[in-house]
Amino acid sequence: MSVLRTTARAPIARTALAVLAVVAVLALTGGLLAPLDPLAQDTARILQGPSGAHLLGTDYLGRDVLSRLLAGTGLSVLTAAEAVAAAMLLGVVPGLASVRFGAALSWISLRAVDALMTLPFTLFAIAAVGVLGNGLHQAMLALGVLLAPLFFRVTRAAALGLDRAQYVEAAELMGASRSWILRVHIWRKVLPTVAVTTAHALATSLLAVSSLTFLGIGVQPPAPTWGGMLAGDLGFLAQQPWAPALPAALIMLTVGALNLLADAVRDAEPADAVRGAGPADTAVRKEHRDGLAAV
Amino acid sequence: MTLTTDRPAAPPATGRPTEEPLLRIRGLGVSYGTGARVLDGIDLDARAGEILGVIGETGSGKTTLARAVVGLAPVTTGRITVDGTDRTALRGRALREARRAGAVQYMFQDPLRSLDPDLAVRHLIGEPLAVAGIPADVRAERVLTALDLTGLDRALLDRTPGRLSGGQRQRVALARAIVTRPRLLLADEPVSALDASNRNHVLRLLDRLRHELGLAVVVISHDLDSLAGVADRIAVLYRGRLVEQGPAEAVLTRPLHPYSALLAASAPGLDRTRRAGLALLRTPSPAAPADAACVFAHRCPFADADCRELPQPQPRGADRTAACHHAPAWREHLSR
Ligand code: SF4
Repeated sequence: MSVLRTTARAPIARTALAVLAVVAVLALTGGLLAPLDPLAQDTARILQGPSGAHLLGTDYLGRDVLSRLLAGTGLSVLTAAEAVAAAMLLGVVPGLASVRFGAALSWISLRAVDALMTLPFTLFAIAAVGVLGNGLHQAMLALGVLLAPLFFRVTRAAALGLDRAQYVEAAELMGASRSWILRVHIWRKVLPTVAVTTAHALATSLLAVSSLTFLGIGVQPPAPTWGGMLAGDLGFLAQQPWAPALPAALIMLTVGALNLLADAVRDAEPADAVRGAGPADTAVRKEHRDGLAAV
Repeated sequence: MTLTTDRPAAPPATGRPTEEPLLRIRGLGVSYGTGARVLDGIDLDARAGEILGVIGETGSGKTTLARAVVGLAPVTTGRITVDGTDRTALRGRALREARRAGAVQYMFQDPLRSLDPDLAVRHLIGEPLAVAGIPADVRAERVLTALDLTGLDRALLDRTPGRLSGGQRQRVALARAIVTRPRLLLADEPVSALDASNRNHVLRLLDRLRHELGLAVVVISHDLDSLAGVADRIAVLYRGRLVEQGPAEAVLTRPLHPYSALLAASAPGLDRTRRAGLALLRTPSPAAPADAACVFAHRCPFADADCRELPQPQPRGADRTAACHHAPAWREHLSR
């Protein structure tokens, strides 16, 4: 827990959290904040620049860009979160099982994970959609499968630690339950790694959702998403060269904030460990002497 | 109560007759997956208020012995009872409940590994009580008592183990072990990683605690020196068998097993007169039969055809056993 507290004190982490908080608010309320209907087409005003009526201009169908960006936040973020949730489920359970249920399963699951990690993402997603049918959830499941190895490795490492750490054995000797051991001894050691993995996975899937939409997989038009807008705008670079920059900026900002947060969590960890593992300093030695004198 | 002649009797922990051992091990056998016996046929007692030193080299099974008592090693034969309760029969929930009661505590060899590096001293010491569901206020009080008993400064309460010295860590491990007010404490090499001054302090602390708390203490060690000043009785293990046990003074000065004699003669801190015959004790007998059953035969200077048969621990005087066909006759060779 001290790792998270240290993280929260870092200025860079605070900035990242502020950005993510804004994104979260937009994801929840974006549709309500949109000044105009994000789906309403106005063929008389296509590809217009910023104006009083359309603060960020209109797209190739005359739809209000600002409204579409705001309304698209929720779907973009939620789909990314869905993929990460699928990845967690598909990574964590086999990760635990690979440690608990013997060497054979461990070997098989490690090889399966190695194989998954070599698969090119886009190809796999297209194949999965080909088999399961095109749709948001199918695409997110495919993404989840490909992100699962990240969580598999983290969980496996934690579960191995759970089995081997002597302080876990010491806690068992006190009569501690499995859930106590997880809560008190394992969780706080796994948490920073899980936080970093989740942040990276969210960033990856946000980008992936965008690139899938770009390919016409996953979110179906006309529903607005950042990736879908980016894909659409790229078709009209000659008319509006600046237009793709808007959804791209939002994607980059969110991914950047997640990566910064993940880095801040990771950086907080060694600092904490160094403080904890340092050799006895003068004060410690003095207290040590005093302690001895008390016997 | 079994004590050496020069040691005052420790007060009993309860009104129970002191002759009744708190820890009673009978016919203990432990083997791991491969089937090889790590311990075989061990009979051993420890009484309240007594320090029993268990000595042996690496691989002798001394740590396994302590781990078997707390249920961390697979007992294949025999029984271990603590205060009349059969610990070997405990499984699942019953084992967990017994552990939470905290009557038996085990101190791991390396506190740096056995103490969670993320927890502060107050949580490390309080954890056994928290696990047992003892309310926070009672817990806090008992943590302070344990801290005081082990001579730790209260200023250390919020430190993590990494910010303590080796001696302090060992005391935290000790405080954590005694916070449940145990009846039996098993300490695995409690001083092997400490420098001379800390070593004496921790040993003195154990000596004081067994008097103050009426604890039975089993100290596991590879080094006779660290047991010499503190143990009331000494048990000597060699390759999984108990070769000798008896009052510490007697085992140190008049060992009845050639291996105990070798240990006593080689201990650097012991006086020179005990070193008599060290060269002889280090010379294996040419008459040792290749198929000897005695575990020490390959190193024993006195091995002969008799040693084909496994020597069983035989009573040799009050509260003393030795497992050697030629005990104590072999001692005559030493004086020659
Ligand atoms: S029984 Fe024989 S081999 Fe074993 S210790 Fe005694 S004399 Fe030596």
